[in-house]
Amino acid sequence: MNAPRPESAPPAPAGSFLRRIAWHWRHDEKCELWIGWWTLVVFYNLYGLLFFVITRTQPPPEPSLDPMEVVQWFGDRRHGLLYGYALVFIVGGATAIMNATLAYSIRRMSVSRAFAYSYLVIYALATLPGMLLMGVACTVGAMRPDRDPAVMSWLYDLAFLSFEGTMGVFLIGSLIWMAAVLLDENGVFPKWFGYLNLCNALTEVVVAPAWIFQSGAFAWDGSIAWWINMGVFVIYTTAFLTLLRRMILREDFGTGPLPELATDPAAGSAP
Amino acid sequence: MTSIASTRSRAHGSPETERFVPGQPDMWAFVLFEAFVFTAYFTVYVFSRARTPDVFRQSQMHLDLRVGVVNTLLLLTSSLFVARCVQAAREGSYRAATTNAFLTMLFGSVFLVSKVREWAMEIGQGFTFTTDEFFSFYYFLTAIHFIHLLIGFVALAVAVRQLTSPARRSQVIVETCATYWHTIDFLWVLIFALLYVMR
Repeated sequence: MNAPRPESAPPAPAGSFLRRIAWHWRHDEKCELWIGWWTLVVFYNLYGLLFFVITRTQPPPEPSLDPMEVVQWFGDRRHGLLYGYALVFIVGGATAIMNATLAYSIRRMSVSRAFAYSYLVIYALATLPGMLLMGVACTVGAMRPDRDPAVMSWLYDLAFLSFEGTMGVFLIGSLIWMAAVLLDENGVFPKWFGYLNLCNALTEVVVAPAWIFQSGAFAWDGSIAWWINMGVFVIYTTAFLTLLRRMILREDFGTGPLPELATDPAAGSAP
Repeated sequence: MTSIASTRSRAHGSPETERFVPGQPDMWAFVLFEAFVFTAYFTVYVFSRARTPDVFRQSQMHLDLRVGVVNTLLLLTSSLFVARCVQAAREGSYRAATTNAFLTMLFGSVFLVSKVREWAMEIGQGFTFTTDEFFSFYYFLTAIHFIHLLIGFVALAVAVRQLTSPARRSQVIVETCATYWHTIDFLWVLIFALLYVMR
């Protein structure tokens, strides 16, 4: 798949969406990269839908709820939690493709492979506490709402603290990506994205007080520990999805600097 | 402090093309973004203060304004030296530029020690991160600034490496590092005004 497109391949059609998809599937040497990129786009949209709308676990509820309020919280969204997390567990494996695509972008840089491998490993581990453990705790709570309120309260704390616990992973992951972008001489990403990684890393540090406070700006649902961070994360995610798409368009499967995008629209196209 | 000048690119190792900002424009994107993030933190602080003004006012009385002033002067002096470092590098005086970079580090280090000493003093008097809302913000804002400053030392180390190695000496990178340092200084002035001065 790394070979350049054969000369005999027909030009990309400008017709229907399905025809264009079929052309890319058969002739585009970047097909795997596009699958990875679309997986990222679909996953993040699905993540938003599942966590914000269906399970309603984001924005996070107050940490200061008493056991009876926690039971009420589980009861209010019982079906959302059960059906929502069933879907989360189905699509959870997609993180492997997403992480591979992100690691590929680092491998394309002129820096040591250690950056890409570290990034891959650290984000693979992040899926366990940040998504799966939280999902298990919420599902266990929702499955039998007649449990002892003290146990429900324990599950509630476990769910949200495990979610918050990924902050260190995102901190180090962002720093790895930052260092790779700033050291890279292949121009895979612009340097401002390296600095944006630093911003994102610093907002992860801000989550740390969530382990101490049960209310206010620094609690896990607080304006500083959650709302501002989420704002930064949305900008950061939008930036790297856009830059990854641009990287794929520019990809020449070489090892040197990535060529700039040609002004000729026929030179590269996205499905 | 580092003025915008079209003649800045004369120094050895820098591109001759006209630039509109000192250093990499990418760093200015960082400055802008950090300014937005800190504006959000400051807004939350001001709203929290407006909710319980008495708690904030009483707790604020325990901070020593003189310490805040000394901290500010230390960082402003460090910014002056980093500006002199950039100027010297532009003129090709790399020895002087390196000396100024080290002086920047020295004043930054004194700031760090002073800040740790102030924290120790406050904790010794029983004012910790969880004492009340004001002290939560005090420790949060000064600590996040402290972390930014630590990263600033990495930036200065990069600048020194550029200045001391004739094979490198990228004026753009030196100015990029200086821009970062000025940003930390700028953020501190705002934090100082909010925590120590605004009553």
